[in-house]
Amino acid sequence: MTALPEGLEQSFTVAAGELGMACAAWLFVENVAREAGDAGVGALRDALGRPFPVLDAVAAQWLAGARALNTDPSRLLAAVEGSAGLVVVGLEAFFLDVLVARLPPDTRCALLCHSPFDVDWERVLSNYGGRVEPVNLESFQAWAGPRSVLLTFAYGVGGHSANVLPAWVRATGEDVRTQFRALMAWDVLPAPMFVYPRWLVEVDAASFTHLFQA
Amino acid sequence: MSAPEALLAFILLASLLLQAALPSRRLVVVTTGAALAALASALLGTATAPQLLADVPWDVIVILVSLGLLTQLFVESRVFGVLAVWATRWSQAQPRRVLVLFAVGMYVVSGLVNNLTALLLVLPILLILFKLLGVRQRYVSWTLALVLVACNLGGAATPIGDFPAILLLGRGAMSFEMYLVRALPTTLVALIVLLVLVMMGVRPERQLQQHPISARLTLATMGALYRNVRVEKGKLLPAAGWLGVMLIAWVVVPLESGVTADLVAWLGAAGALVMVGTLGERIIRAHVDVEATFFLLSLFVMVGAVKRSGLFTHVASWLQGLPIPPLAQLCVFLVAAGLLTGLFSAGPSMAALLEVAERLAVQHPPEAVYVGLALSVCAGSSLFLTAATAGPLAQALTERADLRDPDGAVIRFGFLEFLPAGLMSFCVIQCVALAWGTWASL
Repeated sequence: MTALPEGLEQSFTVAAGELGMACAAWLFVENVAREAGDAGVGALRDALGRPFPVLDAVAAQWLAGARALNTDPSRLLAAVEGSAGLVVVGLEAFFLDVLVARLPPDTRCALLCHSPFDVDWERVLSNYGGRVEPVNLESFQAWAGPRSVLLTFAYGVGGHSANVLPAWVRATGEDVRTQFRALMAWDVLPAPMFVYPRWLVEVDAASFTHLFQA
Repeated sequence: MSAPEALLAFILLASLLLQAALPSRRLVVVTTGAALAALASALLGTATAPQLLADVPWDVIVILVSLGLLTQLFVESRVFGVLAVWATRWSQAQPRRVLVLFAVGMYVVSGLVNNLTALLLVLPILLILFKLLGVRQRYVSWTLALVLVACNLGGAATPIGDFPAILLLGRGAMSFEMYLVRALPTTLVALIVLLVLVMMGVRPERQLQQHPISARLTLATMGALYRNVRVEKGKLLPAAGWLGVMLIAWVVVPLESGVTADLVAWLGAAGALVMVGTLGERIIRAHVDVEATFFLLSLFVMVGAVKRSGLFTHVASWLQGLPIPPLAQLCVFLVAAGLLTGLFSAGPSMAALLEVAERLAVQHPPEAVYVGLALSVCAGSSLFLTAATAGPLAQALTERADLRDPDGAVIRFGFLEFLPAGLMSFCVIQCVALAWGTWASL
């Protein structure tokens, strides 16, 4: 069996906090595969799969032959066209990078600074050169309006349900839902979860006005 | 010792000990101490409050505030984050290289900006690296301690790096270039000796499992965390340009011209802030270090009160009257300076000891006394975690990071964890200070 370094759990939480669980998982899986091949990915799944179910699913995808993350935002961009504001709940850095790069200049973008992990939000936001503004659970409703959209990342949509970060449930109470034009989800993990989806909560897929598959 | 001398010295010492023991209330402690010192001086007839305030070296405070504002502009440019990422890449995520590069990097950075800012910018990146590398207690203790000591050495290397050197510059005790050409090589020697001793003797990375996958993941993750972070040239260029102008002015403009070191700093900071528009206004409103300014003001009042009582003159006379050769007197002074700094920290020690140093500088070459004193203060600052300017900040940031070793045990960085490196650093830097004092006196 391939030997992995000690202390990987701590290093994965660093990456998951500031890149997002799916992006961090892809980063880890790709780099372990380069160094130790599929055997290494298998060992990584054994070591970190249970505490980090998104990584478990990504490793399974890799072992099943998937080799690249699909971050194409075209369908999402079409849906947010004409919006004045986009509030993103949750972070998946590589997805957000391409989305922000292609957003129309007159669409403002905000990121809800809330995470189950330790995050240096200033560092996260400095990757967007001032294009993404920080908001928190108390202030994000200032962005509400008929031309504003709420977006989150979903993990493993299956049947009628989807897994999202708990912050989404806190942000989208009944009072908030009607204040935004649309509540969208971008499924960044089009694969089933094999272990209990720790860190995430299950919501009804029909609660989104739009749900896009990566 | 006369009654005024004893009472005012007691107020100064009690305030300094109390502020060291209660860092969370240090401003209240020193403010109260300064008020009591002013009251005692007035009642004992040694000085009035206006006289004590007139004795405050305002030029030093102007230099500190100006450099702090300029530093904030560097911070806004994100240059330090980008440099730290480069350091990570150069290190190839090898623990030995990480230690050396971050120590040397901190030495360079803290020569130009204040120690707290330097640490606040670099330490979070180092802590992230620790998490990614999967390190152990011993490695963390030695690496953080060496980074702190390098911070102290960098601060002592240039006349604008830290308070003790700024005090020398502000008082005109030494010119900019006179200090720089003497302190830079000596602090560099101390840093090199220390690094060689640690890398060859202690070898903090000895217990670490160095795995190619770990190095690869560390580099890939750090690259991803800073994937689009760029230096903002619109902020960096005014800051760097004006700092360059200030450095040139400090070297070439003669003091007799009336354009003093504090005026150069004031003009330089103002020039840089004017060039960045509204950001300049925001920096002045939000980033003047009120805590440090108020602390130093109170300190200067207390030291000024003791000075006016005549105690420092008596101490200097006592030192000069010791039945030992003059060179030995200087060595006694330097070692005492180091130990007192270990107890009281750099700012208070330097402010008080400079009064004695001025007397010794009549008998010895001024550069032997002043540079020796700056190095001794640096040695004392490196002795205990509580004495290092940025020590408590490093402790707080490390605790907040919740670092764990590969077995899940919490990694700490406190007084005891710092102590072995602190003792070694004190010995090395104090020896360099003594060697410098001896050599420059011959």
